[in-house]
Amino acid sequence: MSGDLRTASAEADLTPSGSAPAGLRRDKPAVVVSDDTRLAIEIRTLVERGEDDEARERFGELVAIHQRRASRIAYQYLRDASEADEAVQDAFVKVFTHIGSYREAWPFEVWFTRILINGCLDRRKALARRDRWVVHTDISSSDEAKLPTSPIADPERRLLSRERREEIAGAIDRLDGRQRTVFMLCHYGDCTPREVSAMTGMNESTVRVHLFRAARKLRGLLGAKR
Amino acid sequence: MIGRPAHPSDERLLESYYAERSGDAIDPRIGEHLTDCAACNGRYSELTRTLDEVRAEGIAEADAVFDADRLRAQRLAVARRLEHVSHPARVISFPARTGSAGRTPTTRIAPRWIAAAVAAGIVVGVALGASYQWESRTPRSEFQSSANSRLAPVATRGTGQADVAADDAFLSELDAALERPRTRALVAYDALTPHVRTVREQ
Repeated sequence: MSGDLRTASAEADLTPSGSAPAGLRRDKPAVVVSDDTRLAIEIRTLVERGEDDEARERFGELVAIHQRRASRIAYQYLRDASEADEAVQDAFVKVFTHIGSYREAWPFEVWFTRILINGCLDRRKALARRDRWVVHTDISSSDEAKLPTSPIADPERRLLSRERREEIAGAIDRLDGRQRTVFMLCHYGDCTPREVSAMTGMNESTVRVHLFRAARKLRGLLGAKR
Repeated sequence: MIGRPAHPSDERLLESYYAERSGDAIDPRIGEHLTDCAACNGRYSELTRTLDEVRAEGIAEADAVFDADRLRAQRLAVARRLEHVSHPARVISFPARTGSAGRTPTTRIAPRWIAAAVAAGIVVGVALGASYQWESRTPRSEFQSSANSRLAPVATRGTGQADVAADDAFLSELDAALERPRTRALVAYDALTPHVRTVREQ
């Protein structure tokens, strides 16, 4: 896939045990440590001491902090609830098993999101391979069951809203791989271009360019359909 | 004369949008320009509206799918998987141990089985031998007469030409039935296909 971030930069190692992200390597370590980063360091210490039960207990708090944001990113990436659910679970399990390699030089959120998007990229590839053989509908039955819970009571408005969502999802899907990743991380993951740079290994200026192109293309696609 | 600053590019407007959304202050020059220039203000509003809509729709859709129940289930699933990570499954080596160590159980168990098999063989042999001897003592003439009666040819219903032809026809039907496919789906194909037998007859 053209959007595979692992080919974005030779120095960008997106494995959990990889080196510090390019975007943050130039910078001094963050002075203010966020709560989740502090928690991750505590969990790492517990694991190193062999107190696995306590570490797992604390890790539950970390999962609770990040799972909604992670689910949003994964769902937008994969457009399938089950796949997104599994991708998020895999990312958390991978984080716990590799917590020993986590370094506080970069925020936990950045490290975790790198792992998550790598998993999503792998799954997207697998889905693309599967799509060559399997014909399926755009939306799974489980997701369909969720949609009627929409707060919009008017069926016509609900239908229009659903169509608009499909248009937006289709437009995002038409973005180039890197543009899509950058846009989704900035837009749904609430990441700054600097953070996206750290997650993906791309230069900050490159991230800005991709973000700008993605926004321009989306405006063109969505504006044209209106 | 101080000229009016140039209209900001779409890229600058986008930067301002993300800065504003993350709570940072936007470039004051752009801010001033947006206040003064209605056209750029309209551009910025349109950009903001589109991107806000994309964000709101995407988040609403994802949150509808990942509701509180699903997130709770996800947390439980992660916790369950982490328990398995901490207590990995026991791996049984395959194939079993090789070398002399692997043969040890065989050498211990084998004598018992061999002894049991030998004992069973002796018992069966003795029993068979006894029964043979008992049968050989029975009167031969009686045995022979019954055997002869069993081996005697069975009398047919008749010896005429008509009976022979009827038997032939019956045997031909039997052969034909055996040659016919047993699978139902193939019967139709079989009916369409000429047989060697019918070709020969023609």
